[in-house]
Amino acid sequence: MDERPAVEQSSPLDSLPGDLMMWVLIVSELLVFGAGLAAFLAVRITDPSGFAAARASLSPAFAGINTFILITSGFLAARALNLRLRSRRSAARWHLAGAAGLGAVFMALKLVEYVEKAGEGITTETHPFFTFYYLLTGFHAAHVIAGMVILGLVAWKDDPRNMETGTAFWHMVDLVWLLLFPVIYLLG
Amino acid sequence: MIHDATTRAWVALSILSAASVMVASTTGTGVGGSLSGAVILLFAWVKARIVLARYLGLWQAPGWLAGFNWVLGFYCLLLLGLFLVPELTR
Repeated sequence: MDERPAVEQSSPLDSLPGDLMMWVLIVSELLVFGAGLAAFLAVRITDPSGFAAARASLSPAFAGINTFILITSGFLAARALNLRLRSRRSAARWHLAGAAGLGAVFMALKLVEYVEKAGEGITTETHPFFTFYYLLTGFHAAHVIAGMVILGLVAWKDDPRNMETGTAFWHMVDLVWLLLFPVIYLLG
Repeated sequence: MIHDATTRAWVALSILSAASVMVASTTGTGVGGSLSGAVILLFAWVKARIVLARYLGLWQAPGWLAGFNWVLGFYCLLLLGLFLVPELTR
């Protein structure tokens, strides 16, 4: 039997902050949404004026406000982790509650936008622009809802490792929106 | 002067997002539209870098941060290319 002590091999993956599986998820989500946004702009080539007319029915300012809400929510989540690492558990939980609350405000405004579009008779069938719009923003909204649940869970089970993983999911949702918002609301 | 890196990141993200909306709303089509598209995608790339570095903590892993920056940079160039095709083929 070999009695030599095991030598610790360091891997480049060890330098990644947080849970490796969360990074796998982040990269997967970026690939999925990235492919969706590239497909959106590729289909736009076939009908740029139709896409411009469709985009004109969206409100960039309204989506900009929602962007600010999500950015601020991410800020609170990042602060929550910093506070937890300094053992300020109560303050960390309040910050997570604030982050999830702003997530709810984001969803409420998104709902207002969807109701407004539905009221104008705009559906996924109206134009390819709106097929992508509903698909990409709807899929992102589902992630926001999942993220709010995860923030609630890590506020409850507030081990620093849990909180790092949960807030990383929330930042991934933030990151996806920061790519989705300019392409659909400003460029489309 | 803001000393906290997380707060600085939030301020930068807010300013860049507001600037993106302003650029989009003040330019029309043609060369101006193409230029504004490039600026908006540049801002999107910078914002993604900030979230990765400061919110997701990649500032602690400079090699990974550089890798993400390059891939996202090329991806934004791809988006810009797709955005400019109708203008270039007109």
